Amino acid sequence: MTGKKKEKLREEVSTKKGNPAVQAAMTLVAAMYIFPLFVIGNYSFKTKKELYLESPLALPKSLNLDNYVKAFDKLNMQTTFINTLAYTAVSVFVLAILCGVTAWAIARCKHKFFKFCYVYFIVGILIPYQALFLPIYTIGYKLNLTNTRYGIVFMYIATGISFGVFLMTSFMSTVPIELEESARIDGCSVYRTYFTIVLPLLKPAMATLIIMQAFQIWNDYLLASLYVSKKQLKTLTVAISSLFSAQSSDYTTAMAAIVISVLPIAILFMSLQKYFIKGMTVGAVKG
Amino acid sequence: MEKKLFRQYLVLVIPGFIIFTIGLIIPLFLSLRYSVTSWDGMSAEKAFVGLKNYIELFHDKEFIDAWWFTIKFTIGNTIIQNVLALLFAVALDSGIRAQKIYRTALFVPCLISAIIVGFIWLKMFSNVLPEINEWLGTNFNFLLFGDSKTVLGGLLIANNWQWVGYWMLIYLAGLQSVPGDLHEAAKVDGANAVQRFFHVTIPMLAPAITICVVGITTGSLKVYDLLVSSTKGGPGRASTSIIYQTYTTAINGRRYGYGSAMTVTLVVVLLMVAMIQVKGLRKKEVQV
Repeated sequence: MTGKKKEKLREEVSTKKGNPAVQAAMTLVAAMYIFPLFVIGNYSFKTKKELYLESPLALPKSLNLDNYVKAFDKLNMQTTFINTLAYTAVSVFVLAILCGVTAWAIARCKHKFFKFCYVYFIVGILIPYQALFLPIYTIGYKLNLTNTRYGIVFMYIATGISFGVFLMTSFMSTVPIELEESARIDGCSVYRTYFTIVLPLLKPAMATLIIMQAFQIWNDYLLASLYVSKKQLKTLTVAISSLFSAQSSDYTTAMAAIVISVLPIAILFMSLQKYFIKGMTVGAVKG
Repeated sequence: MEKKLFRQYLVLVIPGFIIFTIGLIIPLFLSLRYSVTSWDGMSAEKAFVGLKNYIELFHDKEFIDAWWFTIKFTIGNTIIQNVLALLFAVALDSGIRAQKIYRTALFVPCLISAIIVGFIWLKMFSNVLPEINEWLGTNFNFLLFGDSKTVLGGLLIANNWQWVGYWMLIYLAGLQSVPGDLHEAAKVDGANAVQRFFHVTIPMLAPAITICVVGITTGSLKVYDLLVSSTKGGPGRASTSIIYQTYTTAINGRRYGYGSAMTVTLVVVLLMVAMIQVKGLRKKEVQV
């Protein structure tokens, strides 16, 4: 969309008048959506006594952090948190490099093989890895990837690459091809062209890719529960899920654990909202 | 020169190609191969049994029930989430104040892992919402996960709470890209608001609708995490999805070959759904 068109659009939007009834209805809807989040936060500060004797909606008398301390201990936080962070960071870093170069080659080389590659990668979007969890586990077992750090990172890369290539390919049309051509005439190799000319132009797309993938991997449960069973390799989501079944009556600790696990990704979202939305809406908007 | 370039580009694609092939495409073929064996997942022996597993699937009531639940869950989600997401997007786009605050409020639940969402709603239904009954003096039955008749409804609520905001954002982006002059032109031609919505807005939203319908359908067909922490497939087997059933059969029940046949049915359905939807919906899109 051109800048002028956008400006016109904005004018048009700003002249629209909101209907108070719609405003009220949406306020109610938003309150209903927020309510469970309030409940989690509320529970996470309650003492055992307050949990059993008082209404679940009553506010705790004081902001006691006992549940957080307990959750920290029960989740084996210093290990699981670092594990999850490491798996996420390494996978996302590799994905950013791989998807960038792959998508660029697919967009630039007109050979049939690259057209085939694009369709080949898209298969991974149509068939989510959850559907294939059984053979994915088997192949990991056969290649000695289970219960290793590089094994789970490998699988996060393999399962994330489809979306990454799709996303990056759709961004490639924003990179002007003339710059690359003149660099090539000057004798620049394909690799140097990518890293010195294309990559800097892809920064916003990379930010989008990184945050979309980070949030998927951080929240993953199925792959992590299949691939790592050793205590020192476990991720936060897997640790939390075992806490759920172990603490069915005293769930204030579980609620504190939920807050701990959701906060990092919520902060990431709040600070990079713009890129997040861009990544989600790829292909949804014409022009 | 051309050849040299081709080779250089090839080097860029190959690593991703290999990783993807090992991590996803080979497993796809592995499941086909194991689905014609009676392998238990552990022993060295993998006896070939032909199509016996597939024939058994047709008579397996647990398998059919699992598909039935998955289909109901998917259809319910596709309808409810699309309608609500579009409705909320239109409401937010109608020029109300503080649009961004509403947007964030509705979006935040999708940042939470499905396994946590399941647990949150387990507690919501069993502990928190009954309390509201007491406040209001009403007598709603909120124990949705406890009865096989209401468990689907409960899971739909949990899943919609998590995902409506996500799809709403996609519709919102689509709505904001509809040029204002199209609406003006339709207005001049005498179209009322409802007509404008169905004849201007909806056709312009077609790419967004394609993405949302395909995304919600594939997302619902693969439901598993949500069930692990909320209903555990119960009560009875009332909320056992196809992946949940595959997991219990192949991993807990040690019938790996049979479980692989279940995987194959899911893959076939996913591919069919994607093809039909992309073909059918793309036709309706208008070119501007």
